[in-house]
Formats: sequence, C-alpha cells, structure tokens
Amino acid sequence: MAKSASPPPVIELRDLHKRFGIGDAEHFAIDGIDLTIQKGEFIAIMGPSGCGKTTLLNVLGLLDNSIEGEYLLNGKPIASLSQRRKAKIRSEEIGFVFQSFNLISRLNVIDNVALPLIYKGMSKLKREKKASKILHDFHLGEREFYMPSQLSGGQMQRVAIARALVNEPSIILADEPTGNLDSHASHIIMEELSDLHQKGNTIIMVTHNPNLTTYASRVITMLDGKVDTDTFRLPLPARESTKKPLGNTTKKKLARKKKDTK
Amino acid sequence: MRFLFLIHLQNARQSIKSNRLRSFLTMVGITIGVASITTIMALSAGANKIVSTQVDALGGNIAVVRPGAPTNDAFSQLAGDHQFAASTLTDIDVASIKDIEHVSAVAPLMVIGGAVSGNSDAPANTPIVATTPELQAVSNIQIADGQFLDPNLIASTAVIGPQLSVNLFGTEHSIGQTIRVKGEPFTIIGVMKRTNSPINYNNVDFDNAVLINLESGRALNQGSSHLQQINVQSDSVTHLTSVITTINKTLLRNHLNEVDFAVLSGTQVAQPTSRIFTAIAGVSVAIAAISLIVGGVGIMNIMLVSVAERTREIGIRKALGASNRDIVAQFLIESLVLSIGGGVAGYLLGYAVAFAISTFLTFDPILNWEVAGVAIGVSLIIGTLFGIYPAIRAARRDPISALRQYE
Ligand SMILES: Nc1ncnc2c1ncn2[C@@H]1O[C@H](COP(=O)(O)OP(=O)(O)O)[C@@H](O)[C@H]1O
Ligand SMILES: [Mg+2]
Repeated sequence: MAKSASPPPVIELRDLHKRFGIGDAEHFAIDGIDLTIQKGEFIAIMGPSGCGKTTLLNVLGLLDNSIEGEYLLNGKPIASLSQRRKAKIRSEEIGFVFQSFNLISRLNVIDNVALPLIYKGMSKLKREKKASKILHDFHLGEREFYMPSQLSGGQMQRVAIARALVNEPSIILADEPTGNLDSHASHIIMEELSDLHQKGNTIIMVTHNPNLTTYASRVITMLDGKVDTDTFRLPLPARESTKKPLGNTTKKKLARKKKDTK
Repeated sequence: MRFLFLIHLQNARQSIKSNRLRSFLTMVGITIGVASITTIMALSAGANKIVSTQVDALGGNIAVVRPGAPTNDAFSQLAGDHQFAASTLTDIDVASIKDIEHVSAVAPLMVIGGAVSGNSDAPANTPIVATTPELQAVSNIQIADGQFLDPNLIASTAVIGPQLSVNLFGTEHSIGQTIRVKGEPFTIIGVMKRTNSPINYNNVDFDNAVLINLESGRALNQGSSHLQQINVQSDSVTHLTSVITTINKTLLRNHLNEVDFAVLSGTQVAQPTSRIFTAIAGVSVAIAAISLIVGGVGIMNIMLVSVAERTREIGIRKALGASNRDIVAQFLIESLVLSIGGGVAGYLLGYAVAFAISTFLTFDPILNWEVAGVAIGVSLIIGTLFGIYPAIRAARRDPISALRQYE
C-alpha cells in the first residue's frame, strides 16, 4: 500500500447508511452515500425536507454513534475512536450551527457564546474576552448580557453562529444557518462564513436558499438519503467585492425581494 | 479540569438560584438530618468531656466492668440502653475481681426501678442504687450529713441525694427519717453533697438517688442481682493495666469464654449513657437516618426532574464538545451543592439546637472539627449516593434525540 504524500481528505464517507426505527418502522435516512471532502471546501447541501440533510450533518459532527459504512475523519476511521476522543474532536475541530437556535435559555448571551470554550478548559477571563470579541464582530456587542428570550429571532441565530465559531473550528457544520434571518443579515453571516472559508476552514452548510450557494465551492443536492447531484463551482469572480458594503444592485435586489415577500 | 470544576460550580449555583424554592425544599431533609447528627455529636462530646474530667480527677486508677460485648461504635452505644437489658455480670464475678492482686476496692452497682416515697412521692424515675461501701472511695462520694452505707448496721438503711431529700421532705436535713423504697421502709443515715453532675461514669444522678446496701437491693429484686456495672480501683496507676488484663482473663473463665462483658478504663469509661442522654441520642439517630434518606431521595428526584427539563441543553452541550464525563460532573456537582448546602445549614442549626438543649442540662456542647467533618462528610456521601444515578442518566442521553426534542 503506497501512502500518498498529500494529506488525506478531511472527510471520506464510503457507502454510508443510517437507519432509524425497527421492524415495520425501519427506514434509511441515509441510504448509501460515498463522499470525499477536501480541506478548505465550502459545500452547500440542498434538497427537499426529510431527505436526510440534518442526519448527514449529525453523522459528520460525530453526534451519531450508530452508522453503517465507513467514515474517515482526517484519514482515521471514527469507528475506532472512544466517546471521549469524539467529544474532544467536537470541542476542538467542529463548530455546529443548528437549524433552530439552540441557545441555553438559562444562560445570557456571552455565557452561551463562551460555552464551547468551557470544554476546551479555558479560564473564565479568556473565555469572556474571546466571546466578547466575536460578539463584537457580529455586531452584538451591546447584547452581551441579554438573555436569549430578550433577542429577536435573527439576533438569536447570530448568537448561535458566533458560538459555533468561537472555538475556531476547522470544520463548520451549519444546518440552515440563515433560515431565520432576513436577506441583509443572511449576507452578513454568509460573508463571515466566506471569510472563514478563505482562511482555510472546511464549511458544510445546508440551505434552502439557492442564492446562497453562490458562496459555495461545491453544491450537493440530496434526494431520499442519497446524493443526487454533486457540482463543483468555479471560485466566485466577485469574491473580492463581497467584502465591500452591499452595492447598489444588491440593495435594489434586496428591496425588491422584501416587497415580494410582503 | 480546574476551570471545569469552577464552571460546574457556577452553573450549579445558577441553576439552583433559578429554582430557589424547589432547591430550598430539597435541602430541608438533609438539613434536618445533619442538624440531628450535629446536635447529638456536640452534646455527646460535651458529656464525654465532663465524664473524662471526672475520671481523671479520680486519679486514673479506675476500671469499669460493664455487661454486654465491648463496642467502639459511639452511635450504637448512644442508642442502646444498657440499663434495662439483662445483665451478664454476676456476684461471682464481683467476688473473683476482689481476689485479684493489686485490686484495692470493688464496688458493684445495681440500679433498680421502683417507687420511692417519704413525706411526699419522689419522681417516677428516681434511681435506686444498691451497692457496697467501697463506692464511696471509688467514686469519691462526699457526704454532707451523716454517714455512707455500712452493712454492719441494720440492713434497711439508705443514703440519699440532697435533691431527693428536698423532694421528699422539703429539706436537705433528713437524717433519721424513714423512706419507702418499693414499699419497704428504710432509715436515712446519710445525705450526699450536691454534685450537680447528672452525667457521670456511674450513669447515676446521685443528687436524686437512693443508695442502699447490695443485700437490700437483692431482696427488692426477687433475691437476684442485676449489676449495671462494677467499679474497680487498683492500688496504683501503674498496676491498672495488669489489673485489667487479669479481670478480662478471670471473667472470661467465669463466663465460659463468652465475651459478654467489657472492661473499660480512662476515656472508654467516658461514654455518656444517662437516661436522658440515651433518649435524646436514640431519637436523634432515628431522625437523622430518616431525614437523610428522605433528603437523599428528594435530591435524586429533583435531579431527575432537572435532567428531564434540560435534555435539550445536554444535547447542545454534547454537540459543543462536552464529554460524558463533563455531563456527569455537571449534574453531580449540582446535587453535591444541594446536599452540602443542606449540610452546612444543618450544621449551624444543629449547634443552635444543641445550645438550646444544653440550657436544660449541666454541660455545654463542644465545638470541634470532628463534628464539622462528619456533617460535611455525611452531606458529601448523600449527595454522591443519590446524585450519581441522575448524573449518569444525563450523560447517557443520546445527543441527537436530545436535540430533536420539542423541535
Ligand atoms: N431521531 C430520529 N428518529 C427517527 N427518525 C428520524 C430521526 N431523525 C431523523 N429521522 C428521519 O430521517 C429522515 C431524514 O431526516 P432529516 O435528516 O432531519 O431530514 P432533513 O434535515 O433533510 O429535512 C426523515 O424521514 C426523519 O423523519
Ligand atoms: Mg433538517
């Protein structure tokens, strides 16, 4: 067996199956997926509701312990990892953004954002400094000591995203991260993700919004627990311009959209 | 790890604060349990201290033989009432101890229950003690008026305590009066000096007692002896150890090798077994045990509720990198905060109660680290014992279904 010099793919799935239920109720939420994801890819996953997108993200994020098939993370089969080791990987390498906000209602904004840092064993002072900084980047600086219930839906999702990014994960798993944000806020978030992508992080995002796939380097559509299409895209020519404030055309587009939804 | 502990502590405080009433009610059981333990230990330490002071004052050459197997377990001693159990000590034992070398005095003590009356009736629990004249020397009994027991005088004579004298005749000067003990008449030949120490190694409140000759005692007890203890004095401190060894050997022979007696000396003698004390101790131990169990079950119940309420939180924490161990620690520390909180409150309450009770007693409770250690130790054990199951249950939650909950 010749070992290649290049690093192994970040994620490699071979004939992955995930079964739910037993007996009559048994069905496959993931029904045979082969997928190789290289470091630094920005993948958008699309597909109808119930096709297994969330389940796939849970598997990729090591939350699911009962899968069939092979899953290699950084070249290592995860079947061989202990629960503790998996927790450590989740803590250090993976950032989750959930479909719903999933903030802990008992904790205020800054404590929620600092949560992943706890399991890294960081001191309180450092945690608060870091959490505070990222909240600032997300324009939530004045909301640090609010409780989640005192925030709007969009703000809650931004807090949740800030939390996923606070431990600087190399892999970000986002399940419809902009599902609850308006277009303006969506683009702010997408630019954050895009920024992270340019820093070399791997991003896997589920979305229903085809517009947002323009940020991705690869678009996968799923159907009934299988990969339906898998398209690599050229890097976005306007990538540089996305860092600038929204241009006039975009603004017009957004305004039109708002009118449409009304 | 160091930080994690502090975080879990903060977290527990926060969660307890957000459920103030619920947490308070949960702690009450532990508080009562630990308070009972603290009270009884503080009082027992106080009582022990007086008795050991007394024993020391007697010169350190006293050994006490008590019926029943020797035990080092303070609580079983506190809870058990030796006085009413059938005694395993016999007159033969007394005789054999007398023959042992270096034994200078032997005083058997037989405590009988029964009515005592003079001009008026004595309280129902007046101790009637049948003994020998040696008791005066062995226990350093001071006579205020008259003389101590003397079997060479007529048999039915008695020496009484000053308080009993006042109760029966309205005066401490009752020499020559006749009292009735279980219906039999006795002439008072002496009144003891006031001691104000109902707690002592003879377990007799001499201020309220009637002392009669052993012979008369047997007569009042259907002719048989029921010895509560035998006090032995050796001729010097240096000989006490060898005397004790010989007593052990002799009695073992008398009792056909059955260890149904205990030879105690020094601090071992200082075991408070007065009746009030035994009663308080028994009740406290029972209350403590029951409330600790109830408190523990309460903690377990609240923690299970808390785990159920926070299922989603557990899922989130796991997704963000918490290991099973982190989740166990989080919930275990929360239950420990509850139990130790209850324990600290119980410790303080226990001392308050001990001081309140001591105003009716002749000694003060003692503050020491031992009591604090037991209070905290018991709380720790209860918190761990009843908190570990909910914590493990929390950690075993599958993160995916935890996250799907209420979606
Ligand atoms: N914990 C579970 N138990 C049983 N069935 C599940 C569970 N999670 C997901 N499913 C099922 O698996 C399929 C895929 O679900 P999901 O991954 O959430 O879809 P998507 O995110 O694409 O909408 C659905 O049919 C769903 O009902
Ligand atoms: Mg989904």
